[in-house]
Amino acid sequence: MKPIQTLKVSVSGIRAVVGDTLDPELVCRFCRAFATYLGPGTLVLGRDTRTSGEMVSHAAVAGLLASGMRVVDVGVCPVPTIQLAVRNLRARGGIALTASHNPAEWNALKFIKRDGCFLNPYEASELLALYHQREFRTSGPQPPPLETYPGAVQDHLDRILEKLAPAREPPLTVAVDCCNGAGAVMSPLLLERLGCRAVELNCRPDGRFPRPPEPVPAHLGPLCALVTESGADLGFAQDADADRLAVVSEEGVAIGEEYTLAMCTRLALSRQPGPVVVNLSTSRMIEAVAEDFGCPVHRSPIGEVHVTETMRRVGAVIGGEGNGGVIHPGVNLARDSFVAMTMILELMRSTGQPVSRLVSALPGYRMEKLVLRVHPHRVSGLIGALADRYRGERINREDGLKIEREDGWIHLRPSNTEPILRLVVEASDDGTFQAYREEFERAIRELTP
Amino acid sequence: MNLLKISSAGIRGIVGRGLSVEMAIRFAQAFATYLDGEPLAVGRDSRPSGPMLRSAVLAGALACGNRVVDLGILPTPTLQSQLPRLGLGGAVVIAAGHNPARWNALEFLAADGSYLTARQGEELLEIYEHGEFAAAAWDGIQPLERDDSAIDRHLELILDWCRADAIRDRRFTVAVDCCNGTCTLLSPRLLEALGCRVVALNDDLSRTFPHDPDPRPENMSQLQALVKAAGADIGFAHDGEGERLGIVDETGRALDLEYTFALACLIGLEGGRCRGPVVTNLSTSRMAREVARRHGVTLERTRIGQAHVAERAAQIGADLAGEGSGQVFFPGLHPGADGIAAMAFFLEHLAASGETVSQLVEKLPRFHRVVSNLAFPPNRIFRKLQRFRDQVGEPGEEAAMDSTDGVRLSFPDGWLHVRASSTESVLRVMAEAESEGRARELSRRALEAIAE
Repeated sequence: MKPIQTLKVSVSGIRAVVGDTLDPELVCRFCRAFATYLGPGTLVLGRDTRTSGEMVSHAAVAGLLASGMRVVDVGVCPVPTIQLAVRNLRARGGIALTASHNPAEWNALKFIKRDGCFLNPYEASELLALYHQREFRTSGPQPPPLETYPGAVQDHLDRILEKLAPAREPPLTVAVDCCNGAGAVMSPLLLERLGCRAVELNCRPDGRFPRPPEPVPAHLGPLCALVTESGADLGFAQDADADRLAVVSEEGVAIGEEYTLAMCTRLALSRQPGPVVVNLSTSRMIEAVAEDFGCPVHRSPIGEVHVTETMRRVGAVIGGEGNGGVIHPGVNLARDSFVAMTMILELMRSTGQPVSRLVSALPGYRMEKLVLRVHPHRVSGLIGALADRYRGERINREDGLKIEREDGWIHLRPSNTEPILRLVVEASDDGTFQAYREEFERAIRELTP
Repeated sequence: MNLLKISSAGIRGIVGRGLSVEMAIRFAQAFATYLDGEPLAVGRDSRPSGPMLRSAVLAGALACGNRVVDLGILPTPTLQSQLPRLGLGGAVVIAAGHNPARWNALEFLAADGSYLTARQGEELLEIYEHGEFAAAAWDGIQPLERDDSAIDRHLELILDWCRADAIRDRRFTVAVDCCNGTCTLLSPRLLEALGCRVVALNDDLSRTFPHDPDPRPENMSQLQALVKAAGADIGFAHDGEGERLGIVDETGRALDLEYTFALACLIGLEGGRCRGPVVTNLSTSRMAREVARRHGVTLERTRIGQAHVAERAAQIGADLAGEGSGQVFFPGLHPGADGIAAMAFFLEHLAASGETVSQLVEKLPRFHRVVSNLAFPPNRIFRKLQRFRDQVGEPGEEAAMDSTDGVRLSFPDGWLHVRASSTESVLRVMAEAESEGRARELSRRALEAIAE
C-alpha cells in the first residue's frame, strides 16, 4: 500500500504527489464528479506553473468534457485570477490546478463555486460522495467544446486598479520574487501599472522552484540581498500560486508574512472602517490595528473558504490569513497577493513611510510556527487530551485547539494540506514566548503515545 | 447496449456508451509504458469527441514521462507516412475512419508507421490489463511538443511518387467529397497541385459529417450529382481519416467499394507499376484475384484489418495490397492504407492510358455478391459462429476451409465467409459467385446452418 501521506483529500481539494498518487485517471474522475456536482454549463480551468500542470490539465479537460462541461481554459494564471475569471465569465464553477505552497512534486485540484469562492467542507463532502459513487454525468459522443481565454490576467489587473484606485506616484523600486510560479505572469505587469520599477527575481514561469514556495523569512535570503543590492524601496515574495505575499523592508529584512495582512488592514480601515475577519492562527497585531479604528475582529477556522464565509456573514471590509493571504471583498472574496501588493504600496505612498517605519508602528509580538510530525491517526486523540488538560483556560476548539492567555496564545491543529501538525505560539515578549513554547511542547510530548 | 471492442487493434466504441475517457487515459498510459520511454506522436480525426479523447490521451502519455508530439488533426496515412521521419517510437491515432460520428477509437502505430501487429497488440493489451504503468516524477514530465509539418511533407511525398507532370498535362476535372473529415486538409491541395480543376464537397472541418463517413454508394449521392453537374472525369469520396476511398465514374455511377482495390490491381499490374505478389483480406472480391491471375501474379489473403494486410505485405515484399472496403496500400510509400495517394495513382493511369473510369470497370470480371447481417447479442455471436463451423464440418473436396477469421469456404465458382463484425454486434454472412443464383445458394446455406 502507498503511504497515505502522499494523498490528501480535504476541504482544500485533493493533493497528491506526481508520479506516486497523482494519477491522471484520479484527476479525471474527480473532475467528472465535480462536473456532475455542478450540472451543465461553463467551467473555468486554470493552473499554476508546475511541470505536471499540463498533464493534469489535460486529464481534467478529458473528465470535464466527458461529463458535459463547456471548458474555458485560462492557462497558467494566479489562483485569485482564476477565481475572478469564474465570476467574470459567468461560469458555473472553476478548477485551479495548484498545490500553492507545497513543494514542486505535489499538485492539487481546488474546486471553485460560481461566486469565486472555494467549496466549504459540507460542499466538499458532497463532492467526495459523488466521487466515490462513480455515477457520473455523461455527455456522450458530442461533448461540449473546449475553449481558451487569454484575457484573465488583464481582467484581474483592470479590476484591482478600478476597485482600489491606487496612486501611481511617487515612483518606487520594487524587487519581486515570484518563485518561478504563477505570479510571474502578472506581478511585473501590475508593478508597471502602479508606477514602479520592478527588479525581477525568479520570474520565469517554468515551475522549477528555486526555493520552497512558502514565502517565510527563511526562504527569502536572495530577495533580501537583491533589495539591498538594487537599492529597492521594498521587496515582494509570492508563493507558487500567488495567493500569498510576504514583504522585505528597504533595509533588506524579511519582516515576516504576518505583517502583510496587518499593514493591509491598516490601510483598509483608514479608508473604510468595518469588521475584520482573520483565522485563528493569525497574529494579535490585527486586534491592535482594528482597535485603533474601533473595529471588531472575527476569527474563523483556518482555510480561505472559512474566512470568506465569515467575511460574507459579518460584512467585513477586509480579511485574510496571517500567512500572507489578504482578502479585499471589493476586488474578490479570494486571497490575492496582487491586492496585497497594491495596498502596501498605497500605504507607503499615502503615509510617506518606508516599510521599516510601518513595521515599527505595529506591536512587536514574537510568533513562531512549528511543525510536529505526529502519525495522522493520533492527531484527534492528542488534541482531545490536551484540551482536557487545559480545560480551565480560555479554549477554542473550532479548528484544532487554541488556548488564549492574557499575554499570548498557542494554536495546535492538523494541516489541511500536509500530513503534519502545526503549533503556532505567539506572545508579547521573548521570555513569555520561550516559557509557552517549552510548556506546550512538553505537554504534547507527554500526551503523545 | 454498450458497444465497445477492446482488442489487439486498440479500442473502438461509441463514446460515452462503452468508450470512456478513463479507458483512453489508461490505454495511453499502457502504450507509453510499452514504448519504454520512447517519444510518441498523437494525431486525430475531426469527429466531435476528438478534443476530449485527445486530452485524455495526452494526460496518460505525459504522465508516463515520454516526450509527446501533438500532430493535431490529420489524415491517418499522413501520420503513418511521417512517423519514421519524426523519429518517434510510435503514435496514438484517435480516429474511427468509416464509423459514424458517435464512434471513436484509439489505434496504435509502431515506429515505422505501421499498425501494431497482432502480437504487439497483445503485448500492449497485457500491460493495459495488468494496470501497472510508468509514472514520471514531477521533474520527469516533459512539456507537450507540436509539429505541423506532416501534411505538407505527405503532399510532397505523393507528388514525388506519382508522375505529376503527366497528370497536370491532362487538366482533369475531379470532384471530391471530404466528408468534412481530415482529408479536407490535404486532398483538394493535392488535386490542385496535380493541375486538376477541383470541385470539392463537404470540405469544412468545423462542420459535422454530412453523411456516414463510409464511402459506399449509398453515401455518395451528393458526389454523383456533383460529378454530373461539373462534367468531372472522376469523383472521389473519402472516409473520416483518409483510409477508405470510394469512386464515382465519369457517367456519375457510384462504384461499389470493392472496385477501388480491384481497379488498383488492374492499373498497377497492367501499367507495370506493380509486379506482385498482391495481398488482400479473406472477404475481398475475386475481381482482384482474377486480375492477378491474368498477370501471373499470386494473391495472398489474410484476416480482415489493416494490421494483418499490411503485416503480410511487408513480410512477402508486396508492392500493392488492399481491402475490399476501399483501402489501397502502396508499401513502397509507407505501410498504411492511403486514400489520398490512391487518387494520384488512379489519375496517373487515366492520364497515361487515356481510358475513362467506366472503360476500366468494363475490363474487370463480374461477380455477384450477397451480404446479410444477422444481429445477435454479443454473448451469442461466437456460439453461433461455432455452430456454423461444426455444421460445415469437413467440407470435403469441393471446397477449401479457412478459419483464421470466422469461417470461409472457397469453391471453384465462388466463396462463402461468415464472421463477427469488428464494430457491431452482428454476424456477417458474405457470399460471392459468378452467377447471382449461385451466390444466393451459398448464402442460403449459411443462413440455414446458423438458424438451426
